Amino acid sequence: MAQATVKRRRVRAARAQLPGGPYLLLVPALVALALVSLYPLYYGIRASVTHYLYGRDFGSAGLENYRRVYHDPYFHQAMWTTGKYVLVVVTCETVLGLGLALLVSREIRFASPIRVGLILPMTIAPVVVGVMWRLMYDSGIGVTDPLFQAFGFKAPEVLASNTSAFIGVCIVDIWEWTPLIFLIVLAGLQSLPQEPLEAARVDGAGRVRLFFDHTLPLLAPVLLVAIVLRTIDAIGTFDQIYVLTGGGPGVSTQLISIYAYNTAFLFSQYGLAAAMLISLLAMVMLLMIAAVRLMKRVAV
Amino acid sequence: MTEPNGSNERASGAYTRRQVMKGALGTGAALGLAPLLAACGGGSSSSSSGSAAGGSITIGSFQDPSMVPFHQQFLPKFTAATGIQAHYNETSYNAWYQNSKNDGLNKTGAYDIYVMDDNWVPEYAAGGIIQSLDKLGLKVNPDILEKGLDQGYWPPRSGARMKAFANDAPQLYALVIIDDVEILYYNKDYFSKTPVTWDDIYAVAKTTKPPLYGWTARGVKGNPIMQTYLPLLNAYGGHFANDDWSPGFAGPEGVGALERLFSFIPYMPPGVASFDTTEETPVMLQGHATAMTEYTGTAHQVDDPQYSKVVGKIDFAATPKQVISGPAIGTFICGISSGAKNTAGAVKFLEWFTSEKVQKEFAGVGSAAVTGTALRDPALGKKYRWLPAIADAVDNSIPKPRTPDEPQMENILGTQLNEALVEAIGQKSGYTQIAQSHLTTAANQITAYLKQQGGYF
Amino acid sequence: MRARLPRIGLYATLIAVLVIAAFPFWWMLDESLKQPVDIFSGVTLYPHHPTLTNYSQLFNSYHFGAYLENSILIVTMTVAISLVLGTLAAYSLARFNLRFGLNQSSLVVALLVRMIPGILLVIPLYLMLAKWGLLNTRIGLVIIYTGINTSFVIWMMQSFLAEIPRDIEEAAMVDGDSRLSALRRVVLPLAAPGLAATAIFSVIATYNDFLIALSLTSTPAAQTVPVGVSTLIGKIQIQIGPMAAAGVIGALPIVIFALIVQRHFVRGLTLGAVK
Repeated sequence: MAQATVKRRRVRAARAQLPGGPYLLLVPALVALALVSLYPLYYGIRASVTHYLYGRDFGSAGLENYRRVYHDPYFHQAMWTTGKYVLVVVTCETVLGLGLALLVSREIRFASPIRVGLILPMTIAPVVVGVMWRLMYDSGIGVTDPLFQAFGFKAPEVLASNTSAFIGVCIVDIWEWTPLIFLIVLAGLQSLPQEPLEAARVDGAGRVRLFFDHTLPLLAPVLLVAIVLRTIDAIGTFDQIYVLTGGGPGVSTQLISIYAYNTAFLFSQYGLAAAMLISLLAMVMLLMIAAVRLMKRVAV
Repeated sequence: MTEPNGSNERASGAYTRRQVMKGALGTGAALGLAPLLAACGGGSSSSSSGSAAGGSITIGSFQDPSMVPFHQQFLPKFTAATGIQAHYNETSYNAWYQNSKNDGLNKTGAYDIYVMDDNWVPEYAAGGIIQSLDKLGLKVNPDILEKGLDQGYWPPRSGARMKAFANDAPQLYALVIIDDVEILYYNKDYFSKTPVTWDDIYAVAKTTKPPLYGWTARGVKGNPIMQTYLPLLNAYGGHFANDDWSPGFAGPEGVGALERLFSFIPYMPPGVASFDTTEETPVMLQGHATAMTEYTGTAHQVDDPQYSKVVGKIDFAATPKQVISGPAIGTFICGISSGAKNTAGAVKFLEWFTSEKVQKEFAGVGSAAVTGTALRDPALGKKYRWLPAIADAVDNSIPKPRTPDEPQMENILGTQLNEALVEAIGQKSGYTQIAQSHLTTAANQITAYLKQQGGYF
Repeated sequence: MRARLPRIGLYATLIAVLVIAAFPFWWMLDESLKQPVDIFSGVTLYPHHPTLTNYSQLFNSYHFGAYLENSILIVTMTVAISLVLGTLAAYSLARFNLRFGLNQSSLVVALLVRMIPGILLVIPLYLMLAKWGLLNTRIGLVIIYTGINTSFVIWMMQSFLAEIPRDIEEAAMVDGDSRLSALRRVVLPLAAPGLAATAIFSVIATYNDFLIALSLTSTPAAQTVPVGVSTLIGKIQIQIGPMAAAGVIGALPIVIFALIVQRHFVRGLTLGAVK
């Protein structure tokens, strides 16, 4: 009895060493975040209500930029394409990444070279990834056409038609970023508490039951973080598509990032680009707040 | 029982480090530390220009094979001749467009000279990113080919003008350093004489069967396919923009030019709709195509066995005629930054580089020099077969519309052209209708865009 | 026998996946060892006339040594600083009930930072660094990257730390550890797999950033590998051979780093089992 009181007092003493501790721990990180976000956000919002002509600031535009953006069919198309793209790649990457992590988390031989081999795609700079896949898709020297022909199909000439180009850029993204989900989920699996799983196994739960009833709920917070981070990055995908298709053929792979980049830097319409991106940011923000809510529910 | 104390010390140690870090990243970096860090950082733009007065210039450029002799051989020559150090930085095309604009608009002064693509001139000149060379007193070598020199004037000396600049006297804002222009590359194995018209190209194309193709081209949307279409459009008598800024490509000339492009579909490599120069030129250099129109950058490679399997077989001419010959011109052109730290040195460099002696030497390594005498030198023309073709092509060349809105106009038409090509390849018929509908769409979109921007109609 | 069959299936699946993951990498290696004329001659599974010209060109005419040095220095500093800042913040968020709804709002703010599109960031950041005289310096990039990186360190570590049962560190504190030493001695080793994954992710994200480095640097004094790689995309043509070589060389530091930290995935597992 007496010993327990002592222990409790010591715990309290340890906490007392951090006056306002939890808040102080947060401060440095928040300062770092503020440093790279406050001014850019202010600047971006201001730019979105500014009239630019040929890179020069011509005073307030009111909501004119937003009005133009909302009436621009190419903006709608780019949003739609981005939405489709993100949905396709994040879904595939989550399913594949989760599956791979489950396979590799079991005790297998050569675990470490396999793990490193699986994350190889992530290690290459996206610009290079774009160029290499462009060559692989090329009708003259690429590998996709001969591969299809070897199995008796028509050569797809991937980047030369609308649907196949869209599928083509999705495949590149899935190839490159499935390893990310794999990595995060694997780490999550490794630090999962084992007791509940053991208990369930002893109770005779089958593998599938075990996964859906026990592993998945325990893994949910980490999996959600992986999905959220990947979604945000996917929305901003730029380098590899810019190199692969430049948004073409036509506008079939023109994501919002490509459209905004061209608008801002190629056509010097910085205000319009800012209006697009601020609108996008607002939409994604709402989506993500919903995700955080969901995560909190799952975590509790 | 000593343990709590030990861990206490560890804890407070961690604590101090954290506070130090907070200080360094927060107020420290914003106020006191910055100049100090910059001094330690080294290589910052401000510190590199501090050397002796008139002592150095910094030139920035996009990467291009044509620039290799420029910076590897001619910058050292300039230093040897004048004692002025010349620093050179290059990045990718898009990056350089963005970085040079940032630098000039904010007068950061990291560069004295920007190597530009000629269609940047209106934006850079009208936007005050570069300085008037006339005002700086630059003396122009009168031997520079006129159509090349024209690219540096703002407002333009001929063609459509934006209203705000209608009455301004043209001033020279940028000086051409490489006369890059589209020329015809053709394989002598398949042509008994120099092809003159598009019909000549087509006649040979019809005899080809894969893996030999009658034409290779760029089909990617935007700027690339425009480079394929412009020489055709010009040859068929159409115009990218008329003198009153109305589109001049949606009529029978423009449609005819695009139908001609479509007529090559059976004789072009599959996947041509996704080709840029990177995919287009190897087809020619591997000996798989009989002809293509392309800028002069690839000319260096045709006789280099590292790149080419058709050494000595490719010959050159101005792009083919139909009504006229109308190569697209895309010169490399130099402007002096409005933030330049050494304008005198920059002027001196441009005068030196375009002088007759240096131009002769520049053509002497096979480069697209800018003076008539250098390009038409008979001895050099024998060694570098493309030099006389370049001179002819420049003289026949037709510039793109001179406006800062040109990149967007190019993007609109180039997107429609690519969509039309994809559709034509897919359907293999109804070419006239496909061409007409996409060109009309592009014309309407461009007119709407120019109206929105204002200052045209 | 019954156990062996699924095993074979497991390995067959893994091998298939590994081939898919590694093939483009192999293709890139293959192209990097070819002359331009051979690159466009057609598909080969290995270079028939291997040459190292692309590699020597990278270092001799494209300053690749400088790019690598910059990248490695910048990434090391950035990841070290942001891991410390982010993990401390994540610990605070995962363990304490903070006032003003800070637990959730901090996460949302961190996410917001990660979400600001690069295109919106580059111009204001350029103006900021220009004002501080930090344009085209490594320090300038480290400051910017630290801010961006910290946002996802907070996110990832928050979720990994939340997974670790509180009893373990309470026990350590009863044994006399302070909060911070319990975090360091007990909690972090348990979160090692998460920390390793976060580190790999941070390294890759920072190392591969293109748009920001592109806008804030102008010479090899501070330019990073992706910016150097993009230099190979010219006005009209891409230098394929050197580009493939750059891909290979550029991937090496990350592969080495991944090899070093990946053992923590195992350690996490065994510790978890022991406890």
